[in-house]
Parts: sequence; C-alpha cells; structure tokens
Amino acid sequence: MSLKKYLILFYCTLLIQIVFAINVNQTLYINSDNYMAVDTTQFPYYSFNQTPIFQAENKRIIISPNDSLFLMIINNDTLTHGFNIKNYLGVNKTIFAGDTAYVACTFSSAGINLYYDSFNYPDNRYMGLGGMIVVDGSNASKFFWNIKEHQKLWNISLANGGSVVWQNYYPDYFTINGNSNPDINLDTNARITGNIGDTIRIYISNTGQAIHSLHFHGYHSTIVHSSKNPNHVGRLKDTFPIGSMESLILELIPNQIGEYPVHDHNLVAVSGGHIYPNGMFLTILIQ
Amino acid sequence: MKKFLFFITLNLIGIFSIAQINQSIFLIARNTGEKQLANNDTIRVFGFATSLNAQPNVPGPTLIMNEGDSIEIDVWNVSQGAPHTIHLHGLDVNQQNDGVPHLSFDIPHMDHGFYYFKAPHAGTYLYHCHVASTIHVQAGMYGLIIVRPPNGSYTTYTGGDSFDNELPLFMSEIDTTWHRDSVLLHDHDTSLSIHLVDIPDYDPQHFLVNGFSDQQIVQNQIALNTNVGKVSYVRLANIGYFGTRIIFPSALNAKIVTSDGRPLPNPEINDTVYVYPGERYGVLVEPSTPLMDSITIEYINMNNSVVKGVQKVAVDVGPLGIPDFKNAELSLSIFPNPFQSETTVQLTVNVSSKIKVNVKDLNGKIIGVLANKLFEPGNYQLKFEDNSLAKGVYLIEVLKDNKQLVSKKIIKL
Repeated sequence: MSLKKYLILFYCTLLIQIVFAINVNQTLYINSDNYMAVDTTQFPYYSFNQTPIFQAENKRIIISPNDSLFLMIINNDTLTHGFNIKNYLGVNKTIFAGDTAYVACTFSSAGINLYYDSFNYPDNRYMGLGGMIVVDGSNASKFFWNIKEHQKLWNISLANGGSVVWQNYYPDYFTINGNSNPDINLDTNARITGNIGDTIRIYISNTGQAIHSLHFHGYHSTIVHSSKNPNHVGRLKDTFPIGSMESLILELIPNQIGEYPVHDHNLVAVSGGHIYPNGMFLTILIQ
Repeated sequence: MKKFLFFITLNLIGIFSIAQINQSIFLIARNTGEKQLANNDTIRVFGFATSLNAQPNVPGPTLIMNEGDSIEIDVWNVSQGAPHTIHLHGLDVNQQNDGVPHLSFDIPHMDHGFYYFKAPHAGTYLYHCHVASTIHVQAGMYGLIIVRPPNGSYTTYTGGDSFDNELPLFMSEIDTTWHRDSVLLHDHDTSLSIHLVDIPDYDPQHFLVNGFSDQQIVQNQIALNTNVGKVSYVRLANIGYFGTRIIFPSALNAKIVTSDGRPLPNPEINDTVYVYPGERYGVLVEPSTPLMDSITIEYINMNNSVVKGVQKVAVDVGPLGIPDFKNAELSLSIFPNPFQSETTVQLTVNVSSKIKVNVKDLNGKIIGVLANKLFEPGNYQLKFEDNSLAKGVYLIEVLKDNKQLVSKKIIKL
C-alpha cells in the first residue's frame, strides 16, 4: 500500500471514530452508609452511586473508545473525599463535603480504567470508593466483577477517624459488586449465563486491598486485557490472580453445558464472617 | 422379557464403558492421617491413600496419565466423618464429575464415588476435596495430576519442548491451629450438600514444598539434580492460601512455557515466577555451567503482600557428560538418580554388542528388563518407570555377552 493510500485510510478511520464518538455525561454521588454483609453484620461503607441513595455497588460506567466522558462528582458525605482515575493524568480532585467536582476524560483504547477516592489513600478507597470505567466496543456478552474485601473492625475504625496498619490486615468479608455468596448469583451483571459457543467477556477490577486468585471450574478463558501484565494477553488459563487496583478482561467461549463455580482459590476468601461458603463464590450457567 | 433385555442392555453398556477405560485409579479418603512437621510436632491430617494399610500422605499420590486416555477414579470414603469429593482442578471435566458437592455429588462415609473423564491437554493439574474446601484442603486432601502427551513422552505438550527429567514443586502451607479436631471435625448434616463451616483465622507456621519444609526438604531429597546441557522441566503448583514467588538461579536459564495446562503463546524468559493459589506453571531450565545453588520459594500473604516464609530447594548442576560408567566399548549414565517415578538409562555404544539391561532389587531379583538385544554403535535412552515400586535402593545391571559389565545403584524416592 502506498503512503498516500495508507494516510487516506488512516484519516478515514479516525474520522469515523470521531463521528461515532459521543458525549457521555455521568453523575457520581459519594454516599456513605452502613453495609449489610451476607450474615447481616453491618459496618460503615462508602460508595460512588448514580443517585444520592447509598448502594454498596459502585456505579459502573461503560463507554466506547474516543467517547468524551463528562463526570459530575457530588460529595454527598459529611467528610472530605477525592476522585481520580488510575494512570490518567490531570483529573485528581479533592472534594469537600457537599461540594461538586467536574472531570472530563477520553480513552482511545479498549480496557478497564479504575476510578477511586484518592483522598486519604488508600483508606477511603478501601472503605468502598472504587469502580470501573469500561471502554469497549465488542459485541460479546458482558459481565462485570468489581471485587473487594473488608475487615469489619477496620471499616468501623476508619469511619470513626481511626488509623490502621495495613501489614496487619485480615479481611473477613469478600464481595463481588458488593455481594457475597449466595447473593452474587442474583446479580445478572455478575453471574455468567450463556450458551455453548457464545463469546463472553468478563470485566474484572480489584478495588480492594488484597490479592485475589480467581479459579474457574469447567472452562479455560483467554486474557484479553491485563493492566499489570500486558504480556499475559493471549494466555489461556483457569486461574487468574488480580492484585489491588488491577484489572483484567477475560474472554470465555464455553464448550460444554453445565453449572460451574468460580471462586477465589485463597479459600479463606470463600468465607464471610468466618463462615464457609459465604465469600467470593458464584457460578457460571451454560445451557 | 422386556425388563430382562433392558437389564442385559444396561450391563452391556456398563461393560462397554469399562472396556474403554485406559486407566483406573483408586483413592481412599481418610480423616485419620498424621503428619510430622519439621519441628517434629505431629498433627492430624486428612488425605488420600491408595490402600487401607497406608497412611494418607500430604500431598496425596501424584496421578500420572496420558492426554486422551479415558480415566476412572474410584474414591472410597473411609473417613467416619464428613463426605468427601475430588475436584479435578483445571481438567475442565463436565459438571457431573466436577466434584462440587451441591452441583455434582458427594461421597458419604463408606461409599464409593466414581469420576470419569478424558485426560485433557498435556500439563500440570490438581485434585482436591471440594467439601467444605477451606477446611478439607488445609487438612491435606490434595494432590498433583500430571498429564503427559498422548505418547507418554517427556515433552511439555505435543509439539512442545522435550526434557530429560522433571521436578514438581508443589506449594502449600500449614496452620497447626486448623489441625485440631475442633476445626477438622466440623458439623456435617448429611441431608445437605452445602455445609456451613466455621473458619478460623489463618496464620500458617509451616511453608511446604511437596509436603515438606525446612530440613525435611533436604531429607526427602527434593532437589534439582541435573547436568550441563540437560533440560529439566519444573512443574510449579500452588494449592495453599498464600501466593508464592519462585526465584531460579540465573544460570539455570529459566523459561516459562506453560500455565494452567496450556502452552503460553509467547514463552517468557524470566528467573522469577509468581504462582498464586490454584495456579500452575511449567518452567524449562537448561543450565549452561556447573552450579551449586538453590531455588528460592517465598510465601506471600495475600492480604498484605508480606513474605511470611521462605524455602530453598537445592540445585546441583554437574558438568557435561560425566557418565556413571565408561570403558572403550560402552558408557552409561543414569538420570535422574535418585528418581521419583521415572529414570532414564542412557547408553552410548561404541562397538556392536549384545547387551542386556536389568533392574534388580538388592536381593538380586530381576524386577524389570529394559533391553536385551544387539546394539549397534550409537546413543540409546532406556526409560524405567514403575509407579508401584516401593521406595528404596535398586540396581541397574548391564550385561555384555551375558557377562556383568557394571551394576549401579539407583534410589527410588
């Protein structure tokens, strides 16, 4: 191909992307309330939500490459918070109680971008304030796991202005999108369902503090995005470690029917409130 | 008559199914094992044994099979306690054989459970009990599965690299407070398939490689013994609740080639491999210089990334081409020695000769004949594998023209 033809093709592609890129406006409220765990234990929790009503699950933002994302972040709490997007320069904000911050950003390539509370880091993020901005134009069936873990007494301490020593961290609750087993399976955005031969993508962010090692029964999946190890893209595996503030996108094409578990293979994380199996455990259902 | 025909048909189907099975494996699930730790303390363990007279070892027996083989595993629960299962971790078996109690089946005390599957892609896999798995895995109910290529060769996978010997390094931990009866013997309502079980805080004191720690690793001869120019395949697997970081001496030229039973699209040259709970990696090492060093294994707390334990696995790389025996007509190398399941006798024949190679026990009884024929000049590799052979010392005897030329000791670990 001549240089001229190449340039024409390049600019046409760019033009198409610009024409089809859209403006996306999102509002995020920083809410605080008590989180009710799987065993009805309650502890303080913060979350980025779409409305002023507290939900444990952080708002998930899904856009296409080159979309212009405009975020209005309202601090609905009585404490100072912050906002940042990992590896995106120039958007770090401090937001005082009752104030509002504005962020504009664009992502040219597909992937997961983690947004979080950058104030009093990592404490506020650990308290729940972390979510994902998914940039994707694929036609695959999509499922989303924002995973976290909490040590009840630490949430209580931090909410009361105390401090913690992260080297002593021992979480006792493990969640996906704010839920533990068996409730995770009720979340249709988390529980993978499909048919043999479907192309399924699983978008995983770890906005907690610990490392998790997610094991799939029944199937191997291909890594299509790894924020920490880009050289792992293309690997076909059944177990996927993911560290704090990392993200993964997996592609699964099921080849057999059945119901198969996915769970953290640090098997302590399959418990909740010291009870097995109330932790990070859900199932895949393929018809 | 219809009922009779139906019964006959069912039996024929059963017989036909059995006829298709290439390998039957028998495991006994026990709750009454004991394990001696490096500090000489003895703890209670659960585990898998292959006979009623045998103690369940931790880890359980390594299951070796060839890709494409039809496998039957008969698990007999003789635990006098909770039900058990085996989950075939990474083998992607169907739901019925997946070993998760409420989605497959569990095996109550004194019952047998049968698992059927076709051995998948050559690689390294795990098996473990999936009943109250947080407790039962820590209790010791786990083992390694090695799937070789369809021809059973020492090759990473069909079309992959060949290797001369292999070393499994299977990581786990033990928290002795979990090995008290009050924890291990949890409540189990046999009418339920999901058992709600109390989980204590996990703070392991012992960091294991192949079930051993500290001086036990040396005593049990867990080491990489090789020679310059030889290729070794290190199978890394982690069934613990901590992450592991494995650091190879740079002179081993470590190359990561597989993970979770599949080839990496791009092999990775790296001396450091992280293996997190449930993961497996295959690493080829090919030393270029003689070496006395060690492989370092660090155990990383998943909650805070702090290294809590370290183990060392000795590395002894001998010089190139020093045979165990050599004369003008023939030289002999036995590799690996000691060996775990398989060793290779390498013969270099310089003069055409009738050669017989026997494997004998120390009483002189022949337990295997590796070759008995006329050898033309050249290099030959004779593999010896006998999984049923008891641990101990044996002899490789080479006879030339019916006269003993050499007898070398080999040690089965």
